[in-house]
Amino acid sequence: MTNSPFSKAGILMLVLVIVSLTSWECYVRSKGFETSYDDNPALWADKRADVYEPADQSTVFIGSSRIKFDLDIPTFESATGDHAIQLACVGSNPIPILENLAADPDFKGKLVVDVTEVLFFSTSPHNVETPLKNLKYYKDRTPAQRVSFQLNHLLESQLAFIDKDRLSMNAELGNLHLHDRPGVFGEPIFPVEFGRVRFNRQEYMTDHFVTDTAARNQVKGIWAFFAKMSKDPPVSGPKLDSIFNVVKIAVDKIKARGGQVLFVRTPSSGEFLFGEKMGYPREKYWDKLVSQLQCPSLYFLDYPAIAHFECPENSHLSQPDAILFTNEFIRILTQEKGWKFRNLPAVVK
Amino acid sequence: MVFNSLTFVAFFIVMLILHNLPFSWKVKKINLLLASYIFYAAWNPPFILLLWLSTVIDFFVGRALYTQENKHKRKVLLVLSLIGNLGMLCFFKYGGFLLENFTQLVNLFGMDFHPAKPNIILPAGISFYTFTTLCYTVDMYKRKSEPVKKLLDFSLFVTFFPHLVAGPIVRPPQLVPQFETARSATRQQLLQGLLLLSLGLFMKVVLADSMLASPADTVFNAHGPLNTLDAWMGVLAFSGQIFFDFAGYSTCAIGVASCLGFVLPDNFLYPYAAIGFSDFWRRWHITLSAWLRDYLYIPLGGNRNGRFRTYFNLMITMLLGGLWHGANWTFVVWGALHGFYLWMEKIVQHFSTLKQAAMTSVSSAEIGVLGVLPGELKTKTVRNFLLAMVTFFFINVTWVFFRAPDFHSAWQMLTAMFTHIPNGQVLLSTLSIIKVSVIVILLVAFHWMMRNTRVLTVAAKMPWWLLGLIWAVLILLLVWSQESSSSFIYFQF
Repeated sequence: MTNSPFSKAGILMLVLVIVSLTSWECYVRSKGFETSYDDNPALWADKRADVYEPADQSTVFIGSSRIKFDLDIPTFESATGDHAIQLACVGSNPIPILENLAADPDFKGKLVVDVTEVLFFSTSPHNVETPLKNLKYYKDRTPAQRVSFQLNHLLESQLAFIDKDRLSMNAELGNLHLHDRPGVFGEPIFPVEFGRVRFNRQEYMTDHFVTDTAARNQVKGIWAFFAKMSKDPPVSGPKLDSIFNVVKIAVDKIKARGGQVLFVRTPSSGEFLFGEKMGYPREKYWDKLVSQLQCPSLYFLDYPAIAHFECPENSHLSQPDAILFTNEFIRILTQEKGWKFRNLPAVVK
Repeated sequence: MVFNSLTFVAFFIVMLILHNLPFSWKVKKINLLLASYIFYAAWNPPFILLLWLSTVIDFFVGRALYTQENKHKRKVLLVLSLIGNLGMLCFFKYGGFLLENFTQLVNLFGMDFHPAKPNIILPAGISFYTFTTLCYTVDMYKRKSEPVKKLLDFSLFVTFFPHLVAGPIVRPPQLVPQFETARSATRQQLLQGLLLLSLGLFMKVVLADSMLASPADTVFNAHGPLNTLDAWMGVLAFSGQIFFDFAGYSTCAIGVASCLGFVLPDNFLYPYAAIGFSDFWRRWHITLSAWLRDYLYIPLGGNRNGRFRTYFNLMITMLLGGLWHGANWTFVVWGALHGFYLWMEKIVQHFSTLKQAAMTSVSSAEIGVLGVLPGELKTKTVRNFLLAMVTFFFINVTWVFFRAPDFHSAWQMLTAMFTHIPNGQVLLSTLSIIKVSVIVILLVAFHWMMRNTRVLTVAAKMPWWLLGLIWAVLILLLVWSQESSSSFIYFQF
């Protein structure tokens, strides 16, 4: 034992690890990083489990990234008294989640469905990967995974360096931007200050991102890249009818149980909005959808108070605009759509 | 629960504290047993019933097999035990596979039979604990060792959490005596155990999950023809991933057991430095290959009944070994390829002097599935290195069948690897290619350097500051990778 290096080595290891991690934490905080959460299936499943809260105490949101950025959850919760359960998934089609909620006889609450046409009216298997993965995780999650999630939450809420999308080994290596061979599909890398995640799954862009023209243009470039990559024409004909049908069946199931469903088209601007109008004309997609569903809907351009937003990267609202949007959204829900909340009774004009 | 999870970290800290409190040995064993059940139930609590059933039946049947004098009754007991254990394994692991093949067969003969697809969930680790209990039953039938006296000790032998779900597959004489007398880890054992646990987690989390899983998945999940470079990189990535994943688990298991004062057998000995395929099976999943040797190959007759029968036994062993890994014909082909390689090697050995050399150096510690390691192969010569690289090349070909979801994908991959496909898909980024190349080259080099030694032996000879530095780097890379707790590949087997 006297000649064994293990004891001294163990102490040295401990010292080096503690010093390194402390320095790392200080460094990333000095660079402006705050705690952020990995928006992984475990976090999604944690929120999915909340949908059974009483219908008069919670509202569930599904959709794509826009509702994650545009709905300011603290504003919504303090104004309505409802718990906002955010189940939207970035870059994905929410229909599998809608169908899952519809098939769950215990879900009888309020549901807001965010529609981003290019994703909602898509038949690409890629666009349902994340929702399906999240649903599978929720269905299969083990007691051990639940405990790990709680422990991980403790760490993520304290340490800024725990940020898989921006500060992990693979994220840092990705920042090397090595030149790829022609033909390799390179997943675009978003600026570090775009898309920070809170524990309630709300996403937000930092103030610095909003003022950083280069970073905003970088994200606009990514949208253009995705638009160029999409070679198939927008879905139409029987395929589109089939989507309408699937959505109607799901919505009807929820309504039959006493649930409430509302569809919302959240703001976009600039070239992005122009492209959406070209590819997915409102009368052929949105109007047809909501007319078939016979449930309340909200299209941002119909309301002057929320029609004017300039999205920093053309597709999502900044934090201050998200608060404005959320307040107006609540007003429309209660005053025009007849939705009741604990703190706000319905006042239908 | 998995070793690479925060739940396990918390669980293990509690276990270490409990195990070092001044309780009686019996109380400590009960703690360990309860902890093992919690460890297992943390996946899917109902499956704990299967584990109990298997444990209780095998304990009493094992004792009866040993004490029963009537030959017929002993045979009936053995058959019942085998049916019970293997029946459970067949139902859960091969139920869907058997039904699917039966359906295809009867439809081939014109019957219109389309049964509903069974929704059977595979209990974690069933292949491992079934083999653990099976060897006890067979040993009792052959009276190779004494029956375990206490149900508590037997339950702990079957359920001991470090080896429960993915091995190493332990034999009763390796573990049961360790439960008979009080033990706790010395400081040296504890530190060595923590070092092995850190190394195992580094292998699994950093190398397998963070670095290699994505390139391997990208290539193997591709649809359509592939570019040759991408195909090779995908196979090499999987080659590294499967090693780091499984050897990482075994290293964690051995480390965790060591922290509690127990010794588990080695399961991997630098397999990518193997010279020849029998050497590979002395180094890869050693406890399984030894199990297959002792409970399948030798009972089939081994090499005692002539050359033809030896080759037949060898192939049967490898085919069943392949099927053990999963209910898919691709695993059977993987086993068949290994069987074929071993045939070729035996033919070559038959006409060379190696066979002679093999007979002259016998060390029981080095006996693998196919006997002893020829002394000539222990030396690190250029010739041996080249032979090791040839072996590595052929092993990589077998991984195609192991990883590919079906034969079409496997054939597509092999075609891309060995022919030029114009306009084959270019999938992997430059970064991925660099990651795979660097890691696989270092992996092979490390295996070659370490092939005749052990990691703890090397660590013990290092200056303390160097060991501490390396240890800290392992932990820091582990933290930096920020990988979530994904399952080990071998959990599905």
